[in-house]
Amino acid sequence: MKSIAEPAEAPGSERPFNPWPAVVFVCLTVLAALFLAPTFGVLMSSIKSKREIAFGQLWTMPTDLFLGNYADVLSNPAVHKYLLNTFLVTAPATAASISLGVLGGYVFAKLPFRGSNLLFLALVSGMFFPPQVILIPLYRLFNSMGLIDTLWPMIIVHTAMGIPICTLLMRNFFATVPNPLRECAIIEGANEWQILVLVALPLSLPALAVLATLQFTWIWNDFLWPLIFTQSDDKRTIMLGLVFMRGQYSVAWGIQGAMSLVASLPTLIVFLFFQRYFIKGMTMGAVKG
Amino acid sequence: MPVAIFSVFVVWPLISSFYYSFTDWNGFDPNYEFVGFENFSKIYKDRLFASAAINTVVWMAAAIVLPTGLGLFLALLIDSRVPGGAVFKSVFYLPICLSAVVVGQVWVWIYQPDWGLLNTTLSYFLSEKFNYAWLAKPESALFSVIAAWSWQQTGLSMVIYLAGLTAIPSDLTEVCELEGSSWWQKVRLVLLPLLAPATVVVIALSVINSLKGFDILFIMTEGGPFNSSDTLAMHMYNESFRKYYMGYGSAIAVVLFLVALTIVWLYFRQLKKVDEIYS
Repeated sequence: MKSIAEPAEAPGSERPFNPWPAVVFVCLTVLAALFLAPTFGVLMSSIKSKREIAFGQLWTMPTDLFLGNYADVLSNPAVHKYLLNTFLVTAPATAASISLGVLGGYVFAKLPFRGSNLLFLALVSGMFFPPQVILIPLYRLFNSMGLIDTLWPMIIVHTAMGIPICTLLMRNFFATVPNPLRECAIIEGANEWQILVLVALPLSLPALAVLATLQFTWIWNDFLWPLIFTQSDDKRTIMLGLVFMRGQYSVAWGIQGAMSLVASLPTLIVFLFFQRYFIKGMTMGAVKG
Repeated sequence: MPVAIFSVFVVWPLISSFYYSFTDWNGFDPNYEFVGFENFSKIYKDRLFASAAINTVVWMAAAIVLPTGLGLFLALLIDSRVPGGAVFKSVFYLPICLSAVVVGQVWVWIYQPDWGLLNTTLSYFLSEKFNYAWLAKPESALFSVIAAWSWQQTGLSMVIYLAGLTAIPSDLTEVCELEGSSWWQKVRLVLLPLLAPATVVVIALSVINSLKGFDILFIMTEGGPFNSSDTLAMHMYNESFRKYYMGYGSAIAVVLFLVALTIVWLYFRQLKKVDEIYS
């Protein structure tokens, strides 16, 4: 990536013939090819047989489509277990952190109290700290609760760590819901709970979609917490499993490639379908932080 | 309730980190003793801590310059209404949704000495066998991981810059074209100053993310060879969960926390300044 030079010198844009867009297009295409190369290489390796990889190059186009690597990976019971564990962590933690974020965000946006701004700031700054800062006490806490080597610590920690970003986004979104709407509902005799569920939430579906994609991707891809909190093989998540299975298939590059793709597939699908929300979430969370 | 859960599982552990940093707890033994500032004076003398701190600074500086510069460059190109802009955007953004484990593994393959993509390409162009072990040499290990990290992070700064660019009114850029200024003049004199808020955000995020950068290092080098790619986060993990010096690990965590706190404070202050200028 470091090989990318400065932009080509800018030709004057006031001339009748303007080569600039073409230059930009070529420039971007080259960069895009460079950017795709790593991902492409994995894809190629995953559809080659061991023999083909041993003979030729890992990075070239395969002569024919070989799906044996995928068959190997998908028939491995350990992979099933890893995927199931990851799902059992990701789904509840995503749902819980978003629900709590909705509650918190609503309170901060519509029901301010004394010191709520300060509290909000403190909560949001939690987003910025490296997880290593709380690693040891959490390990000790879950150890004393006898929860090490279960899925619970990961669900709980991901929920707690997700609260800042969820609260931040929901607060910003609820702030755009017009106040007269809420007052109207109060006159109609609705309580806060009803307003939240019946008025504010249906309006905030885009924000919920943003958070769901973000949280899902982060929790699915996480590596540090499972590394600390699990010990036995049948509690590992897929990312941890990937690392441990690397030893098992040390020279079977094709299988490793297929494994990486299977592990990334859920987040890739989420990305392709919800990229609008995903990118929006990243920018919103970042710009308004 | 969200605040309560956050407090129990984030704020309370944070406070306990401070507490453990004054003890010699080893991770198992229920009995441990207060050792005062011993852990902190150990930090002061720890040669590995010093090299990890230097690496963290190098890592941070590179993590600021590379993804920010490249992200800005890409955002400017894509913003110039190039055909297929949306496709390019997705391509550059794709690595962000991959996990550090997968990214790390892919780049281990790229750096592989015998058949890795990098050496294969270099051998092809130099027409001689090139088999430098990028990740196994102390001189290049850290920078090799930084390149992989930049590959993943560039998309993020690009999107933030793109968001910043769409917020700039188009009549401003049209005026530039009428005035006959060159592309470079337009970027330097009009766009860059207006992108200052986006730059603050991008840089702050890069710093914070780089402080958290652990997974990809763990996958690619585990801080090696000979601790040449150790960062503070990595050092903290090694001391606490490999050597079980939990007390000492906590002390490193406290240092890490103070560094992060300083950065967050600077960030909020800077953000406020930018807000004041532009509102």
